[in-house]
Formats: sequence, structure tokens, C-alpha cells
Amino acid sequence: MENNRRCVVTGLGLVCALGDNTEKCWSAAINGITGIREVTSVDTTDCYANKGAEVSASSAELSDEDYDRSSLLCIKAAGEALADAGYDAERFDNTRVGVIVGNCVGGAASIDKYYTDEIKNDGGKTSDILKMPAAAIANNVAKHFGLDGVTANIVNACAAGTMSLSYACDLIRSGKADAFVAGGSDSFSSLAFSGFHALHALAADACSPFNQSNGITLGEGAGILIIESYEHAVARGAKIYCEVLGSGVSSDAHHITAPRPDGEGQMSAIKRAVKNSGLEFTDVDYINAHGTGTAKNDEAEFLSLHTLFDGNDHVSVSSTKSMTGHCLGAAGSIEAVLTVKAVCEDIIPPTIGYTDEHLEQLKEKAGAIDFVPNTKREKPVDYAVSNSFAFGGNNASIVFSKNEHDIPDNTNKQRVFITGIGELIGKNDSEGKGLRCDITGDDYKEHGIKMAFYRKLDRFSQLQLISGMRALADAGVTVDDTNANDIGIIIGTADGPMTEIVGFQKNTIQQGTANGSAFSFPNTVYNAAGGYFSIFAGIKGYNVTVANSIQAGVQSICYAVDVLHSGEEAVMVASGTDENTDVTHELYSKLGYGLTLGEGSVSLILETEDNANRRNAEKYAEIVGCAMTHKAVEFGTLTGSEDAMKRAVTDACAEAGITPDDISAVCGFKNGHSTVDSIESTILSQLFTKDIPVISIRDEIGEARAAAATRQAAHAAKLLKEDTDGKYQYILAVAAGVGGSYSAVVLKKA
Amino acid sequence: MLVENLRIPADELEYTSELFGDDIGLDSIDSIEIIAGIDNLFGVQMTGAARENFQTIETLTKFVEENMGE
Repeated sequence: MENNRRCVVTGLGLVCALGDNTEKCWSAAINGITGIREVTSVDTTDCYANKGAEVSASSAELSDEDYDRSSLLCIKAAGEALADAGYDAERFDNTRVGVIVGNCVGGAASIDKYYTDEIKNDGGKTSDILKMPAAAIANNVAKHFGLDGVTANIVNACAAGTMSLSYACDLIRSGKADAFVAGGSDSFSSLAFSGFHALHALAADACSPFNQSNGITLGEGAGILIIESYEHAVARGAKIYCEVLGSGVSSDAHHITAPRPDGEGQMSAIKRAVKNSGLEFTDVDYINAHGTGTAKNDEAEFLSLHTLFDGNDHVSVSSTKSMTGHCLGAAGSIEAVLTVKAVCEDIIPPTIGYTDEHLEQLKEKAGAIDFVPNTKREKPVDYAVSNSFAFGGNNASIVFSKNEHDIPDNTNKQRVFITGIGELIGKNDSEGKGLRCDITGDDYKEHGIKMAFYRKLDRFSQLQLISGMRALADAGVTVDDTNANDIGIIIGTADGPMTEIVGFQKNTIQQGTANGSAFSFPNTVYNAAGGYFSIFAGIKGYNVTVANSIQAGVQSICYAVDVLHSGEEAVMVASGTDENTDVTHELYSKLGYGLTLGEGSVSLILETEDNANRRNAEKYAEIVGCAMTHKAVEFGTLTGSEDAMKRAVTDACAEAGITPDDISAVCGFKNGHSTVDSIESTILSQLFTKDIPVISIRDEIGEARAAAATRQAAHAAKLLKEDTDGKYQYILAVAAGVGGSYSAVVLKKA
Repeated sequence: MLVENLRIPADELEYTSELFGDDIGLDSIDSIEIIAGIDNLFGVQMTGAARENFQTIETLTKFVEENMGE
């Protein structure tokens, strides 16, 4: 189907403290009705704060599956959005309808429940283990609705909900999907409450963004948008809410929790979004601000907005978090739904909580910008921006438009090469608990990483930092002021920083919500590793972490190639990272997969041809084909998803302009589990008419999940580079993920 | 506590090491952790205590000794 790059919103779904559907939430928001009340789902004994914006519906009322609350909130919102869009399985090719969900720390409520049972009751329930990883959420939504398009969980904390929308648009524009169920979801949790409490970042009373700015109020919910290619929407006669124009993603490279006080990173994301939309700052009518209500966010955001928009005499800004609370991984998408409504209705929801005295103070701080205090503003809203800024210094901004608007085509379909590889892989047997990495002070010293920096890192972040720095060094890439904004990062993971999450949660269960660890909490978000890496390396471009089971380590490569092709960056670090500690070993043992777990991190430097040639980079291999596919099966299983593996291999070969029989070797995903191994050999034998070598790297390094998946591609790249007798021309790396996700890349001799 | 909660390698830590200096580089988040840890271990409140008390293990020990049992 022709794709002229227009993406439109055709369905909305929302559940948050303001109500259980979009209309109820919108009505409350424009009337300044708050959803913030006393917290009921978390024990706030001895805490200085006890306010939250919880969803009144019980988990059972949201959907009837036995999933974590984050998945159930998301299914509720996705159901509304799909119905609103008139989704009809007959009129869609369901392999071209995907699910991209933003989330913060996965199934936090289930992690709490498992370890509460472990510590205080009769032991953790095995059924709760598969509810823990963030990777489950998009898979559960895809399974519920039978959607088999590209599936991903974007786990960049408070910016995740906006990034997921941005990625959905990019995939539609590059022709990889017709439509996405895109947004974010997060449930209320003791983990987040205890963590922000420990950081003294909670407001004692309801949050007061751009006003008292004395802390956040946590919320929960899910916001889902059906984003569809314009042609597809028109062909089926869909109702169109508005257009999604450009977006921008950036890194502060500054601090793991605090934003840059000068607003540089925030402004970089907003500038990218406005520029990618073909707009000027003076065109913008409304900005749904990040507006968390912490002093640091509000000061930096005030500065960013004044710097960019002071020449705009009609811009209005509001923080709907003053009513919805801060819904973390769902925040950006909940705000996107409200922003779309603002564009459609020409009504701007207010920032509530100003007294007469506050209004006087606001006049001084606001200047020409209208902060819509207390009551809604009715005015034409043709162009609106929604901002989200996260821990780790990750920023995202996206633009919605009432009418069609030509956006610049920055597409850069240059060839992409692997020019650097950095690996840290566990090879040491750890008393029957799988294979682990030995990390010593020398690993840090090699890259000039000081103890003052590395001692803050949890294991997941340590692995990522070392492999990322090794890859940059191997490629000879030096990050400086001239290229910091042209380099981005995509990290894939199955389980994220589970060890740190569990450590923090156990402490909270034992010591009480009031005694969470301020030191540990920043590391419990999946994107902390990418944050630390960007801070140390000085990388200021795109920065996303994808949680999507084992195959996330190849998906990160596909995603990074997409970012290069979109023209946003010239160099990308694509990584796969997973840890094997006593925590992960115990959880996997209970699941009874019989796997030998490994751990590590593998990072690849991907580069456009121009960039690689300009600096005379040595090339390992060219990436000539990428594919991400999905066949929705129950999370934790793979049986029944064979079709998606076939599509991954054939689509990647098609993109490379070859047939499977042109492939010289396969780096596969066999891990010793009988189902996994049999799917690999069955499908490969169906796809290839001749015998080709299938290389299994996990025999040596164990099931290091996403790290092993990236290593499959790294191994293929090395074989191609070292091959002097023409044995290899193309090598395929294909990886699988529980729930039915597959990613494949075809590498070619450079 | 400094080794376990703040992950300072034990072999790099002396009683007179500058905790907030360039090498170990503790920051405001770490000081929240030290305050909570000392309250937990010794029942001594350090909220609002003067900055110099946080400089080294020696000064922290002195503060705790002087304020224990109050």
C-alpha cells in the first residue's frame, strides 16, 4: 500500500484516576476535577505523604485474565481504543497491526506480591513470576486481541508512553505496519511510592506543577491510541481524530534522576519534534507539559519553554498531572489522549491547584505563556505538543495536528554497517547457578570510569556500561560536542534490572514503605543502564530500551537500523543485556525451563555508510535486512508461534533482496529447551532447501537472553569479517522471544 | 553500610577517606542513604546535621558517638 507518511489517530482508550474511559476522563480534566485522593493500595504507614491517583476499578473488573495489573489496565484501554477505531479483524491484516506499550518497572504489583508471599507467607507463587517482566505487557495485549504485528515494550520510565507513540509512527512511515495499538501502562506500586518517597520527591499534599513545585503525586492508568497510516484509515472509512506529525527523542547525558538545569536535553527533544513536523515554534497552540511538580523538573521546563516559545504570543501550557497524578510509563500516553482531545475539541484542560496568591506568583514566572490555571481555556488548537522527560535523562516530545500538514521527509536509506563490537559475556560457572561475568576494577579503568561513577551502578547497568564503552572503543568512535547529538542508543533486554528491583522491593517489604533505599531506587527502572551509559559516554541522541524477552537483543538492532534510516542519527549503539544473579537464577529455576542461564551485555556500533567512510571506519559487516514479527501466544510459551519465525526469516531476506537459499549460515537461538530447539530446526528445514550450517552460540555462554541474541549477530559479523576464503556471503541471525516475538537480521560481507 | 548500601569497594575505603570528594564522590542521594542507615543502625538522627559531620567515616563515627543515647 502506498504510504505518503501520514499517520493519523483513529481510536482512543483511557483509564486513569479520572475515570474508566476517555469521555469520563476528558470531562473531568476540562472541568478541573482531580483524581488525587488518599492512597489505598499501598501501606503508607510512617510516610510523610499519602496522596495518589489510583484507578478505582479492581484488577478483576479491568479484564478477566490472570495477568499483572499493568497488563490489565492496558487491555482495558486498548479494548476501548480498538472499539472506538472500529477495529474489525476481517478488514485488517492482523500481521500488520502491532502493539507498542510504554512501561516503567514491569509488573511491579506482582513483584510485590511474590516477595511478600516469600517473606511473610508460605512462599512466592510460580504463577506470579511470568507477571514480573515488562516484556509481558505488550505480549498480553497482543494475545488478548489476536494482533500479530510488531510487538514491543518501551521501558524508558516516565518518557516511555510518548516514545512508544513515536516508534509506532516511525514503523508505519517505513511501511512496516498499517496500524498500532500504542501507548503506555503502569499500575500503582509500593516500589514507586517507596522509591519516590525515599528521594523526597513526593509532594506531601496533591502535587502542584508550575506552582508550589514541591514534589509529584503518583498515579496509575493506561492510555492507548490507535495510530494508523492515513491511506489505511481512509480505505476502511475510519473516523480520524487528528494527525500525528513529528516526534523527537533525546538524552540529557547529565544525571540519573535530575534533568539538566539548563534544559538542553528537553529542548533538543522539543526542537527535533517541531522540526520533524515542519513547524515553527510560533505555530504551536498548546503544550501538554511534562509538569511533574518537582522543583527540578518545573524549573528546567519553565526555562526550556521560555527559551523556545517566548516569541509565540498564543501558546498555552498545562500539566494534566495536577489531576491524573504522575502515571510514569503511562504518563506520556495518557497525556497524548488528552492532547488529541484538546486538538479535536478546541478546549485546553487546566493545571489545577492555584490559590489567588499563587496566581499572583504565576504572573511573574509565566511571562507571555498562558499556563491555563484552574479553569479550561477554549481556543483554536491546531497544533499541540506533548512532552515527557524521564529518569536517566531520556526526553521525548510529539506533535499532533488538527489538519493535514506536510512533514519533511528526512528518510536516509543509506547502507548500514557494523563498525564496532563490545562484549562482556559470562563464562565462569557459578556453583551450578549458570554462567556469570567477572567484573573487576580493571574493566572500568580501561575506559577511565571512576569509582565515584561505577559504584552507583547495579549489575544490569554495569554490564551495559562496559560493553557499550568497549564497542565505542572498538569502533574508534569518540563522542564529543560535534557528534553527541548524532549518536543514539537502543538496548534490548528480557528481564532488565530484576536483581535491583527485587532487592529494593524486598527491603520495602521488610522495612516498610517509608524506608525505601534512595540509592537503589534510580536503578530499578529498566532504562537506568541506558541512562548511565549515555551520561558516561556523553551520548545525547535517541535513547530507548526495549523489553521483549530473549529476542530483544536482535530487535534492538532492527530498531537501531530504523532510527538510522529515519535520518535521526548517524551512529547507533545496539545492545542486548541481561543479568544472571542469585535472583534471576532462582526465578528461572522455579519456572522449570531447565535452562543454563548466562549473563552479559553485547553492544554493536551501527553506522551509516557516509559516516563510516568519512572516518575510515573498519567494517565488520553490512546489515542488509531486518525483520520483527509476532504471532500472539501466551507469554512464557513459544508453541504455536512458528509462523512468525517463518515471516521473520523471509521478510529479512526479502529486505536484503535475497532468498533463504542465498544464506551461507545461520546463527540460531537454540538454548537446550526442547520446544525452542525443535521450532528452530523445524522452521529452518522448511525454509532452506539445502543443508546449511546452524551455529549455536549458547552452548558456550548459556542462555544469556538478550545478550546472547545480540551476540548471535556479533558472532555472524565476526565470521564475515574473518572469512578470507569466501565461505560466507550472507549470515542470518534470528532470535525468538516467549509470547511469540521474533527478530531477524541478515548480515552481508562488507 | 557504606560498602553494602552505597557499593563503595571495601578496599578503597579508609577511615579518613573524603567521602564527598572526587574519588568516592558521594552526592545528595547518598547522603539521604547515610542518614537513613545511621538512624537504622544506631538510632541517631542526622537530618539537618552540619555538612562537616559527613566528610569521613571518622567524622560520622564521632557524630554518632556524641549523639547516641540521647
